[in-house]
Amino acid sequence: MKYGDKIIYMEGVIVEVHDGCVGIDLKGRLGYLKIPMRMLITDYPLVVGQEVGWNMSFIEQLGPEANEKYVSNHDACLKRQKEIKAQNGDSEE
Amino acid sequence: MEDLQILLRQHVGAPCRAIVSAGDRVEKGTLIAEPAGLGANIFSSAYGVVKEVLEDRIIITPDEEQKDEFVPIPEGSLLDMVKAAGVVGMGGAGFPTGVKLGTDLEGGYILANAAECEPGLKHNIIQLEEDCGKVIRGIKYCMEISNAAKGIIAIKKKNEKAVNSLREALKDEKDITIHLLPDIYPMGEERAVVRECLGIELETTQLPAAAKAIVCNVETLARVTEAIEERKPCFSKNMTVIGKMNGGNEPHVFMDVPVGTSVGTMIEKAGGIDGKYGEIIMGGPFTGHAVEVDEPVTKTTGGIIVTIEFPDLHGAKTGLLVCACGGSEDRMRDICAKMNGTVASVARCKQAIENKPGAALKCERPGICPGQAKNNIQFKKDGCEYIIIGNCSDCSNTVMGSAPKMGLKVFHQTDHVMRTIGHPLYRHLRVSKQVEQLPDGK
Amino acid sequence: MSISAETAKEHAKDPAVLCCRAEAGITIQASNLEDPAIFDDLVDSNLLNLDGALKIEQVLGATLTKTCDSLTPLTADVLEGYKAEEEEAPAAAPAEEAEAAEEAPQMKAPAAAAVSGGVMKIHIGEGKDIDIELPVGFNGGAAAQVELPAGVQVPGAAPVKELEPKVVRSVTRKHYQITEVKRGPETKIEGTTLYIREGIEQEAIDSQELVHNLKIDIITPEQYHTYSETIMDVQPIATKEGDAEIGSGVTRVLDGVVIMVTGTDDNGVQIGEFGSSEGYLDENIMWGRPGAPEKGEIFIKTEVTIKEGTNMERPGPLAAHSATDVITQEIREALKAVEDESLVVNTETFDQVRRPGRKKVVIVKEIMGQGAMHDNLILPVEPVGVLGARPNVDLGNVPVMMSPLEVLDGAIHALTCIGPASKEMSRHYWREPLVLEALHDEEVDLCGVLFVGSPQINAEKFYVSKRVGMTVEALDVDGAFVTTEGFGNNHIDFASHIEQIGMRGVPVVGMSFCAVQGALVVGNKYMTHMVDNNKSESGIENEVLACNTLCKEDAVRALAMLKAAMDGEEVKAPEKKWNPNVKANNVELISKTMNQTIELVANEQSLPMSQKRKEKYD
Repeated sequence: MKYGDKIIYMEGVIVEVHDGCVGIDLKGRLGYLKIPMRMLITDYPLVVGQEVGWNMSFIEQLGPEANEKYVSNHDACLKRQKEIKAQNGDSEE
Repeated sequence: MEDLQILLRQHVGAPCRAIVSAGDRVEKGTLIAEPAGLGANIFSSAYGVVKEVLEDRIIITPDEEQKDEFVPIPEGSLLDMVKAAGVVGMGGAGFPTGVKLGTDLEGGYILANAAECEPGLKHNIIQLEEDCGKVIRGIKYCMEISNAAKGIIAIKKKNEKAVNSLREALKDEKDITIHLLPDIYPMGEERAVVRECLGIELETTQLPAAAKAIVCNVETLARVTEAIEERKPCFSKNMTVIGKMNGGNEPHVFMDVPVGTSVGTMIEKAGGIDGKYGEIIMGGPFTGHAVEVDEPVTKTTGGIIVTIEFPDLHGAKTGLLVCACGGSEDRMRDICAKMNGTVASVARCKQAIENKPGAALKCERPGICPGQAKNNIQFKKDGCEYIIIGNCSDCSNTVMGSAPKMGLKVFHQTDHVMRTIGHPLYRHLRVSKQVEQLPDGK
Repeated sequence: MSISAETAKEHAKDPAVLCCRAEAGITIQASNLEDPAIFDDLVDSNLLNLDGALKIEQVLGATLTKTCDSLTPLTADVLEGYKAEEEEAPAAAPAEEAEAAEEAPQMKAPAAAAVSGGVMKIHIGEGKDIDIELPVGFNGGAAAQVELPAGVQVPGAAPVKELEPKVVRSVTRKHYQITEVKRGPETKIEGTTLYIREGIEQEAIDSQELVHNLKIDIITPEQYHTYSETIMDVQPIATKEGDAEIGSGVTRVLDGVVIMVTGTDDNGVQIGEFGSSEGYLDENIMWGRPGAPEKGEIFIKTEVTIKEGTNMERPGPLAAHSATDVITQEIREALKAVEDESLVVNTETFDQVRRPGRKKVVIVKEIMGQGAMHDNLILPVEPVGVLGARPNVDLGNVPVMMSPLEVLDGAIHALTCIGPASKEMSRHYWREPLVLEALHDEEVDLCGVLFVGSPQINAEKFYVSKRVGMTVEALDVDGAFVTTEGFGNNHIDFASHIEQIGMRGVPVVGMSFCAVQGALVVGNKYMTHMVDNNKSESGIENEVLACNTLCKEDAVRALAMLKAAMDGEEVKAPEKKWNPNVKANNVELISKTMNQTIELVANEQSLPMSQKRKEKYD
């Protein structure tokens, strides 16, 4: 990591609350984050609209190569979702 | 002629007690203040009239005409005369020499400190070049007073002319030798001199006496000679004035400047300040402090330096690496403020020891670095963009080993002085710490 | 900063790096060397490359042949007269101080910023203090009497009765081997073949409103290289004989086959889609972990499709598990119906032994309790079943005491499905290494296993951890283990459990996945004895099932550490950053002391990799 020590403070807003996860919009249109409950430290019951803050750094590529394993997993997942879509489309007709 | 301001505290110890009153007539060499505790006699450096006695100083209006004659000190034993003349350590420390020499060295050493380590200062070396006999006689007097068997003159090898003068003068002196020092900072620190000459590393709390040695600056030794041979009281000082002066940045060496003369007068004698300047330093680039032009010269004033203007850091976060070898934290903060930096982190060299809370830092092993990477990590973590360091040659070199790679921009506290006088900046160390000694020290 | 001779000795095995410029010809001393404590930072900032650096013990006294600048690693080409690397310390070195090291958090005030996954060294003391080969153990001579042949009277001896181990209860596992799983008209076991009724899928689907589809795949070892949706759980197939309850009586279990729950929602989104382990089974399973399948086992894999959008809601994962259990339950019924005793290939009896007079210990296991895929079903009627069990979340996550045999008999049905590498699968509890080690260790008296959930909100976390503290106080134990399968906010209550126990003067050993990514977020002064369950190469939570779960090697270290702690041995300060060598040193020390080899389990590096990945990483 070349920039691993560039820690920056981020803020976001909770936009989704599920039993197992929350969705967070990063302020300033800087992205969206979905995290499992265990990665969120809470002092109060969770509700949409609460503001959250955390420190993070930039995300860096670790290298130019695509990891075949993840490529194939991703492909399989996309293929499956396509099938499901097609199936759902069929059933609606 | 301007009024002379003679400070009552020109030495280590308590301020002296004035023994004259406004309106009193004084002569060159008139005793005007006496120690109240640890201290040394203070004399008038001119003929004139006491204008005012303030809490911390005596103001004397000098006569227009000044004679060379002075009031001699009373005759007595060698040590008594050194004490009576009010000689103090003129390298800058200002420890009363009479007290220092009162130790029985049981056949030990008088170490003459001619390291003149602060870059830019030249008056010690010039003195040796011009009249090393006075210094050598001073060594002998001190050896006699303190029961030392040997004398060693510690001088940097680069000062060839002075070394040659000494070699010539010492040809037939069987008990006095020369020890050559490498050209790194610091070599003139008292304990560094002991280590270099005798190979003994002293604790930060120990005096050279623990190594059966007394370290005296060359000018101090010359003043000892003057006190004994001429019965001359100590009321003048040798110094170097250097910096951004009209006529160039060459050093101007002044011998026997009357104590109490103002910094401004000395700068004028050297040509006057050339345009805008950064600050005026009294003392050396490492250990001196910033002063105004009306500050008076004392028995320990070795240098007056006028520097170029400071760079502007525009409020950037800055780390201070405080070291025993350089300025105190206050001095470092002073420099940081003058550079318009914001102090975001302060670290202290691992070897800089505060013997007593608030006491000046002492280096455990002067000139031998203990490693600085950890401090740089601290600066980085504290978000510093710049760091200002006050380290010696070796430690500065170590700082440079990691700081730039971490993205820290390094300033040395002496940078503005070094740029002013055309001396290389303290960054990387290119010279060896080892020097070849003269055969048998001669 | 330069180091002292003492520090140099402590770091004898660490790389030697010059702290400052040093000139050719000098003799290397401790004062020339940089403190290894800051190497991580230096390496991180590319200031230091330790390749080829000799160890500190090798360079002391050697002569530098070349003037080198600060932060130069001392390598063979700039030194003369350095010592050759010691292959092995002399085995019989008398009175050699034994040192063990363990992973631990750095001690920081609570609410401190993220603490880098620290490493803690503990000092076990002289070999004789921890020589657990001796039956004398913690109770000196009295314990030795247990070993005397019956009837031998020892005059003046303490009453033997008081100290006799007592078997509280037992569970017998009858193993039935399955070598083939087939579909057929009815679910039954014939010899070593398991038949699963065709069409059972529809009943499973119909049992749960949220389940829209369910597919059964029988995965044989030849088919391990098959794509699978995220693995939610691995479960043993077991049933109780007669009216026996979990934790006592006889349990029948199928060998060679496991249930594997997988699934997505209607849109193909993985259930609990964070760090999912979907992909090729053989690339995603850390074989042989307590919670994972063994190589060679057949998987009865259900692929459950649940209502869209319920993959992150509490009912979703539960529905997937419940639907799968319809199938498992029918197999359990078939297993109950087997009458042919000759099919039992192996019988194992687990005794819950209490050992009065030995140091009494308790295991506190923190399990997920934030809800949805952070839940556990506690104490079902059948091993790892659904019926009769209460979700941990519904119990308010408060501590529930179980006997070690209940734990080993399937009392926990784990719904947890995130953090695949650190999650404790249902099968994990069935083979829980710490419970087994502590139960079988004759030097300690394991009084029970306390399960406590990990709620979401901090106030609730402290509520439950205070109950843990009170429970442990009431138990009057001499020592405690606290384990967690979680990290992130789970570490807040994990730390609090340790504090609550520690403040009552009870030595406590914590066990968790920490390393780099699971670095503890908080710490307290009682967190002095820590074991890191990490196995992954780079110290991160990867997608490989059960990679970073508690294994025997961790249990052995934790036990040795707790014994040391109960004996009041000092603990060494943690290293600043996760250092896998600390664990290695510990294992070596313990195996030396115990005179037995501790085989370390493999990590994800042992799994098949595609060619390109191989080129990149090796």
